[in-house]
Amino acid sequence: MMQGNLTALLVTSFIVLTVVLIGFIAGRDKSSRSSVEEWSVGGRKFGPLLVWLLVGADLYTAYTFLGLTSTAYTGGSLAFFAIPYTIIAFFISYFYLPKLWKVSKEFKFTTLADYAKGRFDSKFLSLLIAIVGVLMLIPYIDLQLAGIQDTLRVAGTGYINIQVVVIISFLLVALYTFFSGIKGPTYTAIIKDILIWVIMLFLVVSIPMIHFGGWGSMINKIVVESPELLTIPTTGPKGIPWFLTASLVSGLALFMWAHGATGVLTAKNADTLRKNAIYLPLYNIVLILVVFLGFAAFHVLPEGSDPRFALLNLIQVSYGGVVQGLAYATIALASLIPCSIMAIGASNLFANNIYRDFINPKVAPAKLTLITRSMVFVVIGLALIFGMLFPTALVSLQLLGVSGMVQIFPAIVFSLFWRKQTKQATIIGLIVGLVVTFTVSGTGMTFGIYEGFWGLLANVLVLVLLNPLFVKKINRQSNPIMAQLFTQQDN
Amino acid sequence: MRRLIIAILAALPFVMMLGAIPFVNRIHPIILGLPFFHFWLFLGMIIVPICTYIIYRLQKSEGSIE
Repeated sequence: MMQGNLTALLVTSFIVLTVVLIGFIAGRDKSSRSSVEEWSVGGRKFGPLLVWLLVGADLYTAYTFLGLTSTAYTGGSLAFFAIPYTIIAFFISYFYLPKLWKVSKEFKFTTLADYAKGRFDSKFLSLLIAIVGVLMLIPYIDLQLAGIQDTLRVAGTGYINIQVVVIISFLLVALYTFFSGIKGPTYTAIIKDILIWVIMLFLVVSIPMIHFGGWGSMINKIVVESPELLTIPTTGPKGIPWFLTASLVSGLALFMWAHGATGVLTAKNADTLRKNAIYLPLYNIVLILVVFLGFAAFHVLPEGSDPRFALLNLIQVSYGGVVQGLAYATIALASLIPCSIMAIGASNLFANNIYRDFINPKVAPAKLTLITRSMVFVVIGLALIFGMLFPTALVSLQLLGVSGMVQIFPAIVFSLFWRKQTKQATIIGLIVGLVVTFTVSGTGMTFGIYEGFWGLLANVLVLVLLNPLFVKKINRQSNPIMAQLFTQQDN
Repeated sequence: MRRLIIAILAALPFVMMLGAIPFVNRIHPIILGLPFFHFWLFLGMIIVPICTYIIYRLQKSEGSIE
């Protein structure tokens, strides 16, 4: 690894520490940690702009920038599946998130598992959803960890002990999350977003100028010298079927993630979410252009460079210390801030749907709030330990995260519209979906299709086929949640 | 009529972002500095929110959402 750049390192540290400080200031008002509802979903008071920032902060993480550029570097245009994926995710969210938000507001749900428990009168289904949520989220937090680790390695090799600095920065994030709750990542996301837009647009404009003489000449060079990068491959293990199923499945899974759901539940009304479904795709303007930097790296960096560092090394060879520092800080923040939201989501699932429902049902609200907040340290601690001890074992879980998460889609979204959906068929479908996903991935029998698609297909088939067997039992059953979902015609 | 328009607008994003992909998987023509495939994705990014917006206005005016 090349020696880091001291100016870059100082700029990065200064920005990151300032933002952490703002994270603490965001929660100076004691009410931000007065209840689980305040701490985790900000008392459901956020308007369209804050929700936009928060969901954007969830989505456009360090992994997005580093992972997609490295995929572009090695796999060409397959990396662009992220565009249809997010566009579809926001579009379909228009139809179900307002409904989900309303019922959650009415019954004070703070997690998707809460909703499933109420909708189906099933603590077991809720437990299953909570376990899947936490299990898939920890490897995802580790991806962010790897993001900041790589950034520090490029910026600080020769100056700092990378491991120690990574641990310190994650503990700082855990502390401000514990202290400020959701307000921490929301207010710091403002700075992160401004930096992302400014820095990423700057990179997109200046890197082609520095190395190719401009955007047009860069595209011409890619068209002439490496046209294979510019289309989805039609041969090889991943082609168009993979691209389509990966887009669809990831799009369905997006708001099933605990951190996605947390962001959504902060909204102050259903209309906020409808407006966000309209505006959120605009975020992709940055993304689509950044992926091209992976192609730029392909032509600029020496052959045999580590694809994982494609974007970081490209920045390193293109700029002086200050710009490098600003870019590294942006990526570091894009890893730390989403981590905070993910930790809130996972802690909430653990404290509410595992601890309260199964271990100590009589827990007092004040104590539950404290336990939820303290879980942040456990979640981030686990992520740190796993990330540092078993970095390779995590890779398969990370790859399966989306495929695993999407399996709760029928339990959460179908059930908003389908009155006769039974808990038995939903639970069996979910389990079959998980088993099929892991089997397909374990045996490598994907047939060029995204793993989660096979799981979801099995999941939905089982649900639809088995549901009539149980439907008699619930025909006359109802509960307050179903009453709100299915009797109110004004929606 | 309104229902039909909403149904078409609801299907369009899937047609554009999934159904059409095998047919737009090409480099030429290069439009606005983007190879055709990437231009198509860029176009989707503009058109899909417009679809969502029109659905939103239609639903508002018929009073099915508040």
